[in-house]
This record gives sequence, structure tokens and C-alpha cells, in this order.
Amino acid sequence: MIHLAKEDVKHILGKFIVTAMGVGMLLGIVLIMMGVYRGMIVDAEVLLKDLNADLWIVQQGTLGPFAEASRVHEDLQYTIQSLQGIDKTCAITFQNIQLPKKNGKVRVFAVGYDVYGDINPVNPARLVQGRTLTTDHYEIVVTDKTGFSLHDKIKLGRNTYTVVGITHGSVSSGGDLLVYISLKDAQELQFSYSNKRIQTDRARGIINKDTHMVNAIIAKVKSGYSVAKIAGNIRKWYHKNVYTRKQQRTVLTRYVVEKASKQIGMFTAILIIVATIIISLIIYTMTLEKMKEISIMKLIGLPNIMIVRMIVEETLLLGILAFIFGNIFSHIIYSKFPKRVVLEIPDAWMLFGVVIAASILASFVGVKKVINADPASAIGG
Amino acid sequence: MNDNTAIRVENLSKSFGDGDSFIEVIKDASFTINRGELVALIAPSGGGKTTLLMMIGCVEEPVSGQIWIGNEKVFDNKWLTKETRKIRREKIGFIFQAHYLIPFLNIINNLLLLPQANKTDKKTAKAKARELLKYFDIADKEKAMPSQLSGGQNQRVAIARALINDPRIILADEPTAALDMQRSVDVVKILKKIALEQEVAIVMVTHDERMLPYCDRIMKIEDKAIIFK
Repeated sequence: MIHLAKEDVKHILGKFIVTAMGVGMLLGIVLIMMGVYRGMIVDAEVLLKDLNADLWIVQQGTLGPFAEASRVHEDLQYTIQSLQGIDKTCAITFQNIQLPKKNGKVRVFAVGYDVYGDINPVNPARLVQGRTLTTDHYEIVVTDKTGFSLHDKIKLGRNTYTVVGITHGSVSSGGDLLVYISLKDAQELQFSYSNKRIQTDRARGIINKDTHMVNAIIAKVKSGYSVAKIAGNIRKWYHKNVYTRKQQRTVLTRYVVEKASKQIGMFTAILIIVATIIISLIIYTMTLEKMKEISIMKLIGLPNIMIVRMIVEETLLLGILAFIFGNIFSHIIYSKFPKRVVLEIPDAWMLFGVVIAASILASFVGVKKVINADPASAIGG
Repeated sequence: MNDNTAIRVENLSKSFGDGDSFIEVIKDASFTINRGELVALIAPSGGGKTTLLMMIGCVEEPVSGQIWIGNEKVFDNKWLTKETRKIRREKIGFIFQAHYLIPFLNIINNLLLLPQANKTDKKTAKAKARELLKYFDIADKEKAMPSQLSGGQNQRVAIARALINDPRIILADEPTAALDMQRSVDVVKILKKIALEQEVAIVMVTHDERMLPYCDRIMKIEDKAIIFK
């Protein structure tokens, strides 16, 4: 049995492999794009999972600190703590800051929490060196990707902080590197102004700046109590917005990551269309190069099905090879990306399905050319 | 018509275009070619040689007339079968100016392509292909690619391909055009030999008058009509 596609590919093996590698790189980028999206979802949930809070109490009329500015009084945590069914509470702040380094600055997302409180946001599983915060002032826990080492000194605002712990894989919902500082330090950084600013504010009549504000109160509910019921009570009597863990996750995925994911989805769709067009053009060119042979095959009596099969099989082989190269390429480069890229097997299978469909679609141009080829053109030079 | 008839053509006409661009190439052509005959087809350039060859080869549809391949009537003012390609595959062999072998298939696979399309038993087809390669003195080249063979060797493979399905007719379109004098004579001698030994009718288009003495008959297209010399 002569396998025309196999024999043709063998004949142009080098060219075929290089072409497949080129298309493969394009498909690799598609996989990376999908991985960036998955990475965003994973990143979005890192802090949420580490805090493991049942309830998020935030400023009324807001979606909470991950989506928009939210301020509540720090002492609200004591009110919440006193509610029936509440096990633990913690006042918490979130802010982006720039950590000064020798060769520039590192943008980080700082979590401020009550060092002596009941909930410690530093996930012990992520702590790879040192310890968590133990004092109210001038200690900082950083994630390893910031490039700081244990006992490094970092100047923030008016004070110098000592790195007491290093975590691994801690990122904010936006993919920024996470650092942890005490609530008091965080409030000072967020709400305290320079002497000059205070003087100016006083001259303008702005006084009594309240620095005892936080961005959210998180709470854990005792077992046996209804999280939804407690959330309802807080909403009703304390005029605050309350989100359960599931709702907070929805806020993150729907309001924070949604647009970015749509953006990535658009890029992915465009890249798949581009890959389909490129495969079509390659197959069209490969078919054009064989038109004389195709005319001869038709003239000597070969049925269309034999020739069409060759074109379709070559297109599918190109698609499959490109998919394999794409996977290899994406696995080589994904770790070099600054933000998390998560390559998942179901995504790869989905792309495989798309590549097969795109290859079949792309082969139509070659098949059409074969069907329309005039056998008479083989005669007469 | 007897069993020895390979091609019979009655009142065959072919024209192209209409109105001002109307051109009649062949008009009421009638002839018979028997098995074992090597017939040269000559005409000036644009005289209709290739058109006639394509009509006999069931590639180009005539305007009117009748064509028989062996005892089977294949055209009677229209094709009598939708599968003209099947007729070509089973009853007609083609040889071209250049060898036009499939460049990505080795020599034996070039020969086995048609038997595969005809669903001929693989063993039988291979034995026949090897027998033909031996006949043309290129048995040792069966695994070679066309690019590894000389022009003359490739042309012999092309003739072997034309014979692989035991055709009734071989249509050769200037098979010696790309060869030097000695190789041209060799090829025409081979064609003459196979016409006799395989009992095949061969119609050979040629411009080279030096090849005519080797042919049994000379068919000339003159003023749209067929004249035998």
C-alpha cells in the first residue's frame, strides 16, 4: 500500500518539519496565552485561599478592596467579633507600595494585619525561610521573587524594616508580589502624611485625620453556624457590604480578572485564526508546488479520493506536528514569563481539537485546488 | 469491428469557442487503429495533435462523433460513462514529453500507483512491476528515486508505468522531445517492440521526422481532417 502523504512528507521532511516548527511556535504562544489566563485565576485566589476567611466585611456600596477602594473603621472587628457565631476576626489593609532596591524599585502588594490577632495571613506552607511577624513595628515578610534576603534592611517611608521571613509563590490578585507588614505599619504607610503635608492640611482646615482605618475586616465563622445568615445580619444592622468566600471569589473572577481574561481570549482567538490561515496558505502553496504531479495523477486515472486523502493527511500531520512543537515550545519558555503561567492538560487537549478542526478547514483550499485541477494540463509540456 | 481493434473513431469533431472566437480543430475524423500498431501522429503546431490525443484518451470531450476503446463504445455525442477516469486507469497508458514520474515516490511505487487505484492484488502488481523493470533493464533501480536516474532511464520507467495495467492503448505525447537522437531512436524502438509483444496500439505524437520510419503508419491532421500516409 503506497501512502502518498507519508512518501511526500518523507521527500520534503526538512522543509515540512521547519514549517511545522514555525506553526508550532504560534500554537505555543496560544498555549502560553491560555496559561497566562489560568495563571491570573490562580494568582487571584492565592491571597483568598491563604486568608481562608468565611466573611469579608467591607465599606457599604463597594465590592471590597480587590475591586475598588474600601474603608472601614479598625474597631469594627471587635463589633463583628462579638456577634454570635463568629470565631475569629482580623482587620486587614491592602496597598501597593514600591520597595527600594539597589537597581530600582520592586512593585509589591502589601498586606497589613494585626500581628497579635487571631488570623495570620501568612500561609505557613509558603514560608520557606525565617518566621512570620512577631512585633508591631518594622518587620516585613517578603516573597522570594522580590529578590530580598533574610535580614535585609528596607527603607519604607520614614522607617527601616527588617526582612524576617521569605515566602514562595505569594502573589496578589493582580499578580503583584506579596509582602506582609503589621497593621500599624501599614496604616502609617497608608494614612500618615509627611510633616509638610500635615502643616498644609492644617492651613486648609483639614484636621483630625483618622489613621485607624482598614480596608476590610475578615472573619471566620464557628462550625454549626450559617455563614449566609450572619452575613445577612451584618448587612442589615451594621450597614456594611459582606461577601462570603464564594462571593469574594466571584468578585475577583468576574470584576477583577474578567476583562483581562476577555482580552486574552480575544488574543487567543485571533492567534488561532492566524494559525488556521497560515496552515491554509502553507497547504495551498504545497498543493500548488505539486499541481503538475496532481494533473498527471488525474490524467493517468487516479481517483480524486487518493489525491484528496494525501492533501488532508498532510494537513493533519502538519497540524499535529505543530501542536507537538507548540507544546514543547510553551513548556520551554513558560517559566521565563514574569507572571504566573499555568499550562493545563485540558487546555492543551482543547487546543488539539481546535488545531484538528482548523487543519481540516485549512485542507479545503488544497482539496478545492485538486478537484479543479485539469488533467489535460499534464499534456503538452 | 474485430477483436484486434484498439481504437475506433467515427465522425469525430472538436471545436473551441463561439462567435468570432470559434475555432474548429478536428472535423468528421474517422479512423481505426489496431492492436500491435505504432502510429505516428503529426501535424503543424496548433494543428490539433494534442486535442485528438486527449479526446482518444477520454480527457477532452469531443463536440460530436463516436469513440470505441476496444469493443467498448465510450463516446456517442456524449460520454457514455461518468467515470472516464476509470477508462483511462484500466485501458489507456500515457507517456509524456518528460517522464513526469511522481518525484516523491521511488521507481517501484511509481509503477504500483495505478494497480493500487485499480485494487489489483498487491503481490500480482509487484511481480508485474518487477517484470517490466527487468524488461526495460532497470530492475536494479526499483528503490531509487526518479531524481537519481538519468533522463533515458526515467523515460523507460514512464513507459513501464504506462504498461503496468495491461492497457489496450498507449498515448504518447512527444515522448522523444527531451531526448537526444540515439536515445530517441532507442525509445521509439522500445515502443515498436512493446506494441508488437504486448499487443498494444500506440499513438505517438512527434515532430521528429527521423522517427517516422520506425512507425507502422503515419496519421496526419491536415485541414482538420485525418489523413493516413
